[in-house]
Amino acid sequence: MAFLDVHDLSVGIGTLQPLDRISFALDKGQILGLVGESGSGKSLTAMGLMGLLPLIGGRVTGGSIRLDGSELTDLAEPAYRALRGRRMALISQNPMTSLDPMVRVGEQVDQVSRMHLGLSGAAARSRSIDLLTQLRIPEAATVHRQYPHQMSGGMKQRVVIAMALAGDPELIIADEPTTALDVTIQAQIIQILVDLVRSRGLALVLITHDMGVVAQACDRVVVLYAGRVAEANVVADIFARPAHPYTRSLIECIPRDGQAPGSLKGIPGIVPSVGNYAAGCRFHPRCALAQAVCQQQVPPLQTQGQGQVACHFSAAPSDG
Amino acid sequence: MADTHVDPSASLVALRSLTRRFTSRASLFGRKRTLTAVSDVTLDIARGTVTGVVGESGCGKSTLARLVLRLLEVSSGSVLFEGKDLASLSGAAMRTLRRRMQMVFQDPYSSIDPRYSVRAALLEPLQVQGLRPPPAEERARVEQLMAMVGLNPSLVDSYPHQLSGGQKQRVGIARALALHPDLVVLDEPTASLDVSIQAQTIALLEQLRQDLGLTYLFISHDLSLVRYFCDRIVVMYLGRVVEILPTAHTPPRHPYTRALMDSSFEPDPQRRRVVTLMQGELPDAFELPAGCAYAARCPGATALCRQERPELSSDGAHALACHHPLM
Repeated sequence: MAFLDVHDLSVGIGTLQPLDRISFALDKGQILGLVGESGSGKSLTAMGLMGLLPLIGGRVTGGSIRLDGSELTDLAEPAYRALRGRRMALISQNPMTSLDPMVRVGEQVDQVSRMHLGLSGAAARSRSIDLLTQLRIPEAATVHRQYPHQMSGGMKQRVVIAMALAGDPELIIADEPTTALDVTIQAQIIQILVDLVRSRGLALVLITHDMGVVAQACDRVVVLYAGRVAEANVVADIFARPAHPYTRSLIECIPRDGQAPGSLKGIPGIVPSVGNYAAGCRFHPRCALAQAVCQQQVPPLQTQGQGQVACHFSAAPSDG
Repeated sequence: MADTHVDPSASLVALRSLTRRFTSRASLFGRKRTLTAVSDVTLDIARGTVTGVVGESGCGKSTLARLVLRLLEVSSGSVLFEGKDLASLSGAAMRTLRRRMQMVFQDPYSSIDPRYSVRAALLEPLQVQGLRPPPAEERARVEQLMAMVGLNPSLVDSYPHQLSGGQKQRVGIARALALHPDLVVLDEPTASLDVSIQAQTIALLEQLRQDLGLTYLFISHDLSLVRYFCDRIVVMYLGRVVEILPTAHTPPRHPYTRALMDSSFEPDPQRRRVVTLMQGELPDAFELPAGCAYAARCPGATALCRQERPELSSDGAHALACHHPLM
């Protein structure tokens, strides 16, 4: 069994069901990309994995999440709390909201290893400085004493990564960790995450809407649309033979080197809000290939090669 | 200096040694410190072209955009619009000229008044300029603007909170186009949007440029987007132009431009970038080093780079400020 095994996970908020039977698996030393536009259910999946759904009034309504063989969906909050920060950690999109503006950043990193690893103040401090140094923060001992407002966005995100690593977790969920950053800093942060996965044997779920980031970093990819899996595959096949029209459109949103002017398309329309999903295939109102069957029948998720795809017309990818 | 051989009156906009300084105090009783956000920028923007300005946060690109529209006053140097120095214009003359130069802002969430419906937001620029159409024609004018940017006319009475980010940005673009401008300054118009909506918005801007013969100054930190969208690329680092690529496909010769290019990931796992972890970030803009501002992060920096700032020199249209340019 895989280290993280999510099977048919469904999430409900009130009477709505924003996440519908999501499945994926991830081993240690691997990076899984969770991709889709805003409103696809990526962050909700992250909240579900971290057991944080009650914070937003949500709950798991079906399926299972197994971490290293043990079921998480029926875990009581105290047991989940012992897991969070220790075996699994979350890196969120905006480093500004993950850090307490009133507390020195070093102390915030120290707290994690004091709480989860039972380290003394001095041991926690030297561990934090070690981590900050590993994340290529110059003069880590000085930075340890700084407040968040004294640091650049890229430095703050490195501190947030250090906080995530401080409890020595095995699984990291990074929810759009570079969206708020400059491209140069994005490249650095992604490289740091990739290096951590390879050197420490971490399992990383990388949530992003940017197929460029996926191509650069991920081993496997799950494409979500409107709360369902549209397609899942190894990264090479996702890009070489995208089987779902949504995957193809997402890839075409990033201009390639030397792409002819006027050829960038984007995806018409927007992701529907929860409760306003179309019948049949939820992507059909935005899909160029949609036929009558797409409006009527939900396409089942079917195995194709090393992946799965949920599309009535996935048999003949155009550029395979 | 780049582009000094061009007669300024031939370009729509000409920037001459444009400089803008800001002063602040480190603390209440601290000594005054000066930051030069834009330093000695000379540039000509020909009618109908798309000029991209690229660089990281803090490189001065947004300050440059505001100087071009005289939303900020220059410290020295000048902005010429069809040969007229903006600084010499009276308030009334400047207001009239503003019809011809408009801006699309980065954040559509904060650039539209939340209490304005789409109709009110689109009529506001006309009203401000005293060009509000008679009531009988209002509806047609608003609908025409909405159609131009691909907004469904049924949204005319919607408020910003009822619109998606992409729709709001279309309202922002329609507002900028309401007065039939010649120049549109686009300040990171897609930075806060999903990639799918970013691509839609860029496609719309391309179409509008063709249809209306617009001239764009496009500000972005995303070099792959700039290379796709722009005819010419100006690369800024800490307030200075370090390279001007005459076409989007000119290979970069400045190590900083190269680093920017290596930072934008292509949607192709066969072409993964080799990212070298840089030790530093931008130096303190208040205390710039004596030599090349990029030297601290540059893998090819030498003693010369740390002592003497390289001047921007031009080989035809390709301008470059580097002691050791890439081949």
